[in-house]
This record gives sequence, structure tokens and C-alpha cells, in this order.
Amino acid sequence: MFQWAWKSLAKQPGSLTASASGIAFAFILVIFFDAVWQGESEQVVAYPENIKPDIWVMQSGVANMHMAMSFVWDWKADKIASMPGVKQVTPILYLSNVIVAGDTKMFAFIVGLLPDAQRAGPWSMSAGRQIKNPGEVVIPDVLSGLTGIGMGDQLRIADKNFTVVGLSSGTYSSANTVLFVPFKDLEDILSSSGTYSYLLVDADDGIDAQALAVQIRNEVDKVNALTHAEFIKNDFSLASQMGVEIILMMTTICSVLAALIVAFTAYSLVMRKRQEIAIIKALGVKNLLIFYALMLQAGLVTLYGFVIAIVFALFVIPYVPLLVPQLTLIVSMESLLQLGVIAFAVAISGALLPTHMVLRLDPATAFHI
Amino acid sequence: MTSPILSAKHISKYYGSGHTKVRAVNDVSLEIQPGELMLIMGPSGSGKTTLLSMLGGLLKPSEGNIEIEGINITQLKEAALPNIRALKIGFIFQAFNLLEALTVEENILFPAQLRKDKANSAKQRADELIQQLKLEHRRSALPQTLSGGEKQRVAIARALINEPGLILADEPTGNLDSQTGQEVMMILHDIARDHGYSVVMVTHDPRVEDIADRIMWLEDGALHDRKSETHQWTHDPVCGMRVDEWKAEIKTEYKEKTYIFCSQRCKQRFEKNPVQYVSHFKRDESSR
Repeated sequence: MFQWAWKSLAKQPGSLTASASGIAFAFILVIFFDAVWQGESEQVVAYPENIKPDIWVMQSGVANMHMAMSFVWDWKADKIASMPGVKQVTPILYLSNVIVAGDTKMFAFIVGLLPDAQRAGPWSMSAGRQIKNPGEVVIPDVLSGLTGIGMGDQLRIADKNFTVVGLSSGTYSSANTVLFVPFKDLEDILSSSGTYSYLLVDADDGIDAQALAVQIRNEVDKVNALTHAEFIKNDFSLASQMGVEIILMMTTICSVLAALIVAFTAYSLVMRKRQEIAIIKALGVKNLLIFYALMLQAGLVTLYGFVIAIVFALFVIPYVPLLVPQLTLIVSMESLLQLGVIAFAVAISGALLPTHMVLRLDPATAFHI
Repeated sequence: MTSPILSAKHISKYYGSGHTKVRAVNDVSLEIQPGELMLIMGPSGSGKTTLLSMLGGLLKPSEGNIEIEGINITQLKEAALPNIRALKIGFIFQAFNLLEALTVEENILFPAQLRKDKANSAKQRADELIQQLKLEHRRSALPQTLSGGEKQRVAIARALINEPGLILADEPTGNLDSQTGQEVMMILHDIARDHGYSVVMVTHDPRVEDIADRIMWLEDGALHDRKSETHQWTHDPVCGMRVDEWKAEIKTEYKEKTYIFCSQRCKQRFEKNPVQYVSHFKRDESSR
């Protein structure tokens, strides 16, 4: 029976491939949306992930960086710097605002760096240099490619013009693009003085960061101090929450689409083979066995589509950012396993549709073929 | 007297109700013994296929009982009927009804998958049938590449693979030319006579009458005695099958007399040793 199921399917390779390609297309959409979501979620935390201090200190009530606002008095930075076990404190000023690059307006995260900052700046430069002087900016190389704004060109942040002196890599995503400017310039934009946004605290060797964070929270008034891991977790969680509903909806739509294609394939197979199914029933094959055979056919078509989608995910999707650099795509093994589960569910649900047709098919019609 | 393979008692099949009630089969009773070849003949629409469907457990009769090898299949639940069909009955269809994606050998073996107790011997049995029905050279061929006669021989082998007691054949020569049809008839005749299968055959073909043990005439849903028809009949001198002289195409001349055959096989046998057959033929013809 299963031999018949397999050979009936394989006898029409064109039809099989067309159906599998349709299913693969739906699965590829699922993988692609998930990869975009994973990539963007990772990119949202790219800055704190790469800067990686032991402890993040911020205004009390604030627990992350993405789309957050925080003010910490400068004397608190001095107090923390004088605490035992603290090796270094690097203050940054931080603003989320619209920038104007040529004809392009876009949302960006701007980090203000002190001239003597040992850390907190771009971690990878693809061209130019770090900022040294007032009015300079380092922008993401992808942003430069998209807007045409290059080395020596100017862009506007709020009411202030900056000259591009360097291009950083790994600092662009559609959710948050990170620019680096001098601390003083950002202070001017914010019309603020004597405050920082975040303090990047490095602990002495052998000091427990968790304990030090607790100590900072206890000893410094109205600040929150989190270890790097806690801070990243908060930021990532927030970013995930922002996109998860959309991605879930997209995944559901694509899964339903795949299920419909499988169902249509199974349905058309039954329609084409209903005479043979009547013969098979007349010869004494039970409905349950026929249903298993149809399930096998649906499973094979789905597996074929799944394999096409996996090949595409592993060998094509990683190269998409070369053509579309503003996209950050991450295909995780976890998402592929999830897709496997979806594919299994799709195959079963797709095979259920023609079941009633098989049950209703009269074996006596074998005499009238 | 052995117990019948098939016993149908007062079976009827109605369609519709009230004024629109149609009796497709009306109070039919019959029995068939092991090794018996029974013909069911009758005009189109007389209920032959309906009767055959009921005898094969494909259709529930409205009234009456059908027993196959002592099992009352009309009392069985729907879910139990596939097993009866798989193990007790072999079906041969007019349109051959082979599974297009499977080879000759796979088609023959298909019903054997449903009989797990003989799974190991099925391949050997298929080899025997392939050899017996002269399909060795077509073992790996797909149905679409077979001639009509070859397709029907595969269908016969498929019907025999599980060694059922009962073979139900619906117009097995209906889609074949007369010569190939005669060959198929002879195979069915041989499996009943030589191998003890009970064969119930629905047919319009009057040439089969002579090889049948019993002929039933079904008209308006009821079984009657065989209706005689007038033809220009003669007999094949080799197998004795009745052949219509007006339609016969396989002929040979021997000693200024024309002899007519049902198939090339009989003609070839005759030509090898005509004397053997001519003497029998003269005696038979004179006795008619």
C-alpha cells in the first residue's frame, strides 16, 4: 500500500515538485520572517552586547537601553568610581532621535562619548577613525551605503550639523542605528549639564559583579545597577515583545498557507486517483490503511518542501544581507526545529481534508470504471 | 456433496422508495460449488453488475443472505468486509483496473500485502502465476505498456495471488478483441477446472457458454433459465469451444475442409497434429 502511495506520487514528478515548491515557499517565508526577527532582536542589543561592561548603572526605574531615557547626576559617577572593587566608570550620554542624512530622515540612537573614554565607542571600524574633535560623527557603514553620505560629508542631528569622520560596522539595523558623537555636542543638543545617561562600570579582577551591583543600588541614591547579563536580558526581552506578535501572525499565516497547499495537493491526488482508490477498496484495503497512505503522501510532499526550504535557509538566506545590507538575518537551529514541528502539523492537517472523500468512495464503482 | 463456496438466498436490491422504488435484483438465490464456472448473462441493465457487487461484498443487499465459505457476509459490519474481499474473493474487472504506478509484479503482489500469514510465500506464488500466465517478459513493465490481453492476465494473476475460493469476473473479455477474449476465457476455464476455483462470470459473450458448467439468465432483476439464441455455431476442434462461424477469423484448411478456432493457441496445436483432432471432431460433430 505504501509502495503504491510512494510510486503514485513519484510517477508525476512535475506535479510533486510544483506542490513541494509551493510548500517550500510558505516555509521559506516562515524562516525568513523569523530570521528577520531574530536578526533585529540581536541587533537591538548589539551596542550593549559589544561594549560589555560588568555593570550598567542608570536612573532608578530604568532597566534597559532600547528606546529608554535615563539621567544620572555626575557626582554619582564619582561616588561609584570611589567605591571599593570598582576599577573604572565610563559615562555616556544617550539620545534616541531623528537624524537627517542627505534626503533621508531616520530614527537613530546617538551615543555621546567623553574624550578620554576608554570604552563605549564603536567596536569595529570599516573606514576612517574614531571621533576626536567637536562636530564629528561616526556612522554605520550600512547607513553610509544607503544614504550616500560618506567620509567628510555632513549630517544633521536635531539642530546641529556633524561631519562624518568614520564608518563603523555592526552598528546598523532597521530597529536601531547607532551613531557616535562627542559628549559635549550631545550635551548641547539636550541642553543638559552635569548629567549622564548610563554609567558603564568595570569591576576589579575577582570582584563579584552581582554583589557590586547590589552594593551600588544600596549605597547610591536613586540609581539602578544591573549586571551586564541582566541588562542584556531586559533589552532583548523588550525587543522580542515588540516584534513577537507580528512574527507570530506572519508564521501563522505562512503555516496556514503551507497547510492549504498540502491539503490541495492531497485533495487533488485523491481526485486524480479516486478510481484507483475505489479499486483498492474493492480489493480489500481498509479505509484506515488508505488514510495512512494519503498521510504518507502528504508527509512526503511536505518533507520535500521542508528540505527545499532548509536548503534555501542554510545556503541562500545568509547571503541576502550582501544584497540588502540593511537587513540582519539570523537563521537559528531552534527556528528550523520549530519549522519541522510546523511541517509535521501541516502534513497531518493537509491529509485530513480528503479523508471524507476516501470514506465516501464506493468500492462498487470499481465495476463501472 | 461438498459445501458451496458461495450461497445466496433470496437476495434483493432496491433503490429509492414508494413510487420511485426500483428493484435492481429481485429474490435471487444461487449456489456455486468449488471448481464450478457459472455464467450470469442477461441484457444491459438487467442487474448483473449489481448482483456481482452484492456477491462480492461491495454492496449490501436490501434483503436476503449471502454466505461465502460459510460466513454470512450480510451480517458482518462494514469494517469487516474488506478482509473478506481480500482473503476470500478475487475480482476481475472489464477495464482490468490495474494500479498504474505499479509494475506487473507489484500489481500481482498488491493483494498479498493484505494477507500477512502468507507474506513469505507470496513472491513465490507470484512467480508461479507470472510463469503460468506467460508474463515473464513483462514482469517489470508498467500497465500502460501492456496489451489488453496482458493487462487482463495480470488482473487474473492478481485475483489468484491470495488463493481465494471465489473468483468474480465482470465482463472479463469486454475490452478485448475476440481472439484475446477467447484466450482469457480459456484461462478462466482452466483455473476452475484444473485448480478448483469457483468462478462467477458476468458476460455478454455467447462463445463462453460451452465452457461454463452453468448458465444463468438475469432479466429485470430476476434469474431465469438460460435463454437460447440462434447463431451459426461450430466447434473448435481442439478445445471444443463453440465458435461463431460468421465472426471467426482464425481458420485453417485441412483436407479440403475449413476448421475454425477460438484462438491462435488452438490453431497451432491443431497444425502440429491435425489427425488427432480431426477424428475427435468428426465424432463430435456427428453426435450433435
